[in-house]
Amino acid sequence: MWVNYLKAAMRNLAKQKLLTLINISGLSIGLACSALFILYALNEFNYDRFHPDVNRIFEVYRNTGKIDDPDRSMDTYLPMPLGPAMKTDLVDVEEMVRMRGAWGDEFIRVDGKVGKMPLNFADPSFFRVFNFPILYGNQQHPLQDHNDLVLTRTTAVRLFGQENAVGRTVEIRNGEEYVPFKVTAIFADIPAQSSIQLDALANYELLSETAAGERYQNHWNRSSFQTFVKLVPGSNLAQDQPRLDAFRQKYYPGEEAERRSRGLWDREGIPVTYGLMPMAQIHTNPEFFNGFASPANPETIWLLIAISLGVLIVACINFTTLAIGRSSGRAREVGIRKIIGSKKRHLMFQFIGESVLLSLASALIAILLVNYLLPAFNELANTNIDFNFNRQLLFFLVIGGLTFITGVLAGIYPAMVLSSFEPLKIVQGKLRFSSGNTFTRSLVVFQFVLSTALICATLIILKQLNYLKSSYPGFNKENVVIVNADGVDTRTIGPRFKQNVLAIKGIEGVSGSELSLGEGTGWSRSGWNDGTEERSAYEYFVDPDFLKVMGIELVTGRNFNPEIAADTINSVVVNEAFLRAFNWTPEEAIGKELKGYYESAERVLPRVIGVVKDFHYRPMSEEVSPQLFHQFPDYLPHKYFIRLPSGDPAPYLTAIGKAWDEVANNIPYNYAFLDENLDRFYQSEARWSKIIGWAGGISIFIACLGLFGLSLLSSMSRRKELGVRKVLGADVFALIYVQIRNYFVLVALGILIAVPITWYIMHGWLQHFANRIQVGPGIFFIGAAGSLLLAFVTVLFNSLKEATHSPIEAIQNQ
Amino acid sequence: MPMIQLSNIERYYTTGLQKTWVLRQINLNINAGEFVTIMGPSGAGKSTLLNIIGMLDQPNNGEFLFLDEPVFQMKERHRNELHKQYMGFVFQAYHLIDDLTVYENIETPLLYRKIKKNERQSIIAELLDRFNMVAKKDLFPSQLSGGQQQIVGVARAIAAKPKLLLADEPTGNLHSTQGEVIMDLFKQLHAEGMTIIQVTHSEKYATYGSRIIFLEDGFVRNDERIGS
Repeated sequence: MWVNYLKAAMRNLAKQKLLTLINISGLSIGLACSALFILYALNEFNYDRFHPDVNRIFEVYRNTGKIDDPDRSMDTYLPMPLGPAMKTDLVDVEEMVRMRGAWGDEFIRVDGKVGKMPLNFADPSFFRVFNFPILYGNQQHPLQDHNDLVLTRTTAVRLFGQENAVGRTVEIRNGEEYVPFKVTAIFADIPAQSSIQLDALANYELLSETAAGERYQNHWNRSSFQTFVKLVPGSNLAQDQPRLDAFRQKYYPGEEAERRSRGLWDREGIPVTYGLMPMAQIHTNPEFFNGFASPANPETIWLLIAISLGVLIVACINFTTLAIGRSSGRAREVGIRKIIGSKKRHLMFQFIGESVLLSLASALIAILLVNYLLPAFNELANTNIDFNFNRQLLFFLVIGGLTFITGVLAGIYPAMVLSSFEPLKIVQGKLRFSSGNTFTRSLVVFQFVLSTALICATLIILKQLNYLKSSYPGFNKENVVIVNADGVDTRTIGPRFKQNVLAIKGIEGVSGSELSLGEGTGWSRSGWNDGTEERSAYEYFVDPDFLKVMGIELVTGRNFNPEIAADTINSVVVNEAFLRAFNWTPEEAIGKELKGYYESAERVLPRVIGVVKDFHYRPMSEEVSPQLFHQFPDYLPHKYFIRLPSGDPAPYLTAIGKAWDEVANNIPYNYAFLDENLDRFYQSEARWSKIIGWAGGISIFIACLGLFGLSLLSSMSRRKELGVRKVLGADVFALIYVQIRNYFVLVALGILIAVPITWYIMHGWLQHFANRIQVGPGIFFIGAAGSLLLAFVTVLFNSLKEATHSPIEAIQNQ
Repeated sequence: MPMIQLSNIERYYTTGLQKTWVLRQINLNINAGEFVTIMGPSGAGKSTLLNIIGMLDQPNNGEFLFLDEPVFQMKERHRNELHKQYMGFVFQAYHLIDDLTVYENIETPLLYRKIKKNERQSIIAELLDRFNMVAKKDLFPSQLSGGQQQIVGVARAIAAKPKLLLADEPTGNLHSTQGEVIMDLFKQLHAEGMTIIQVTHSEKYATYGSRIIFLEDGFVRNDERIGS
């Protein structure tokens, strides 16, 4: 029986080549889309599961309650003595490891050659807690001595040109001198699906030897380090909050009482405690910032899957509407089969089987497509998925299931309609066929709702993105080059470099700053208590030229003056947002002291000397936060902002490079453009616009494919009617009009439904942005006109063909 | 006991407020082994009667006993079983499945009756041999002449060994030589014991049978047995 069905199905498909092509191409594109996003989701949800003990590994976080906010905030920057204390006090803790991520690149020297390398620190227990296999060297105690160093295989090859670099020396720059480190082990490259990513690992104990480290050691109020614990099997410590609370109280005995007395805490329980985050959940917990890889938001993942399933549904609908559209061709077969003994069940089976067959064929093509498109997808989604036929068993199971469901979903309605035809009417030729019913028409409408909505959403995201990038951020971001002076002793070299650069003809100004501006350049935020309230501000250490070079406007007061000694001790310039937080007018602000800010016996309280207009030093999507500039003596500039004249920057870049090489012996010259750095703030929006844009484009393409098939079928079945109309005197335009008006109504209806839905959703999305565009009718008009035009062109093709056919032929053929 | 007993069968269509009568007060008994020809002018109700007997259509009034069982009182499943077990159909327009070959067309009713593969093969081989179609078994219907298509139609109708063969103008689309081939086939089948009911316009082909029922305006006007 199956063979019989299969043969009928194959021959039928072969006969309807164009429709089969439309169906298979639509379904395979739809399936490929879903497959990619499912691959993406599986990838994201599988992070860190390569550690065999992943269920026993937890990252410790601090859980801080706030009086005016029901949500507690989590952070993972913890004090140095926490890990050892947990291991001593809590029997469940089998092992702990403290880590410090790389703070930028370190300068290193290998065989006399200077290079750069990010350096992480971890306790020697690192290799006992996590599963990072050691390939060469000391398996038992890699990081035993303070100057031991462990490298990944790739890093070893990069530095030494060979995998086994055990015993070799890497010199790491500390201050002005290079300190030799001995490579004791090489471990396997870290899988992409790991939250912990690093190239080189040094002994955590070393940190406590540095000047800063001594301040942190045994100090419970200085926090800068991640702590992971491995619990004994069967432990319930992660759920046992009272024990964690008791642990916290042991080391911060007066904390609760103090916070309550100061009015910072009035709810039950203790204000600050610890929690244990399961390792496997770290990657998909967006509120959990662990200082390593950036987490993935599960909402985002589900949204992407929903969009890709939407595209798949659009393709399924093509199958359904086309199958209904050509049911007249299959009806006779149904009638005969019924008369010679087929039951309805047999026919349902047969037709659903056909669509499953078609979706299977599409799935094969889809998998080839995925294989081919994966690199492009990785770039689009900023992932690093590899497609491995052995390892992706789950993926193939999911895709297999999805393919089957797709086939059934696409085939069930046509199967129901076809199998319920009454045989007598068919054999007598009494059954009347129309090219679709209300149900299939609403499916077409749905296709255009989804496609138009995605296209309009893309246009809105693009417009918002463009708005963010092109708005004036409150300072002049154009024509500024940032030279990176990390690792350079700018106290001695800085003044000479500035002098050299200013000597280049055309350069408009140079300023040193501690931090750069833009995505991934870091910031420094300080918090203090001024006796009444917790205060916080972003701090920027700058030299007196900064405001001038950046074109930042002064509202009142004055800029730093190199002639005034106090300016390098306690003068600060603040922004308007800072004044709003303190409820000061600009006039009041001048001369005000910042009580509680780094208060100590040897320090003088900072005083406000000037107020600048707010400018967007953080993404434009955020409100401007309080900010303060200072030039206290214990910081060094790490970046130089150089304003070039407009025009070709190339000669200036060369000249600046020369100026750099003259002063910074052997440290590579490294620059970036400020406006490009700032644009990187909006990477995620740019990525979304691409993903949704592609989804919208693909979905409207598939929808138009379906429309093409439908119009083909209906034009063919109306050939006689069109012939008669032509004989009666209809011209080509009239004939095209009668053919396309029905589709026009469907597409227009789809657009009408899509517009309010898109408006509502995108209006919600825009609320995330402090600065946003107004969504007017214009953008919807463009999106709608685009959809309509595409649909029109698609349908026009067949209509035109039929309208120009010879009428005699059409009539005689009947 | 007659195979088919029809008593007071009536069939009409309602169009608007008007009833259009197709069959009126039909009382007929047909015994196993008869070869009945239904004749009459267009619109006399011949095909409707045949479809009612074939359980493809239902009358508005009257009773139909098939092998003493009341057809229209039984459950649809049971009726479908009877239909499947006892009846074969031959159509004026052949109604072969375009996407299946000659062999596969004949095989299809056997598949629905869950007949095993070996048995299917031998049944089909026998039929192909008998109707001289062995060389054409892998051709598609569109590659055959009308007469050949109808031969396949007959072969398919009798493949499952029905007791009753119903043929609605089986020669209507054929020219005379082809028609005679089909009628000779029917005659042979009748001689082997098959009950046949055919509808035809042709006086000549009516004489192949053993009984002629003449319908006019929905009434049976004449019912005569003829010597063969």
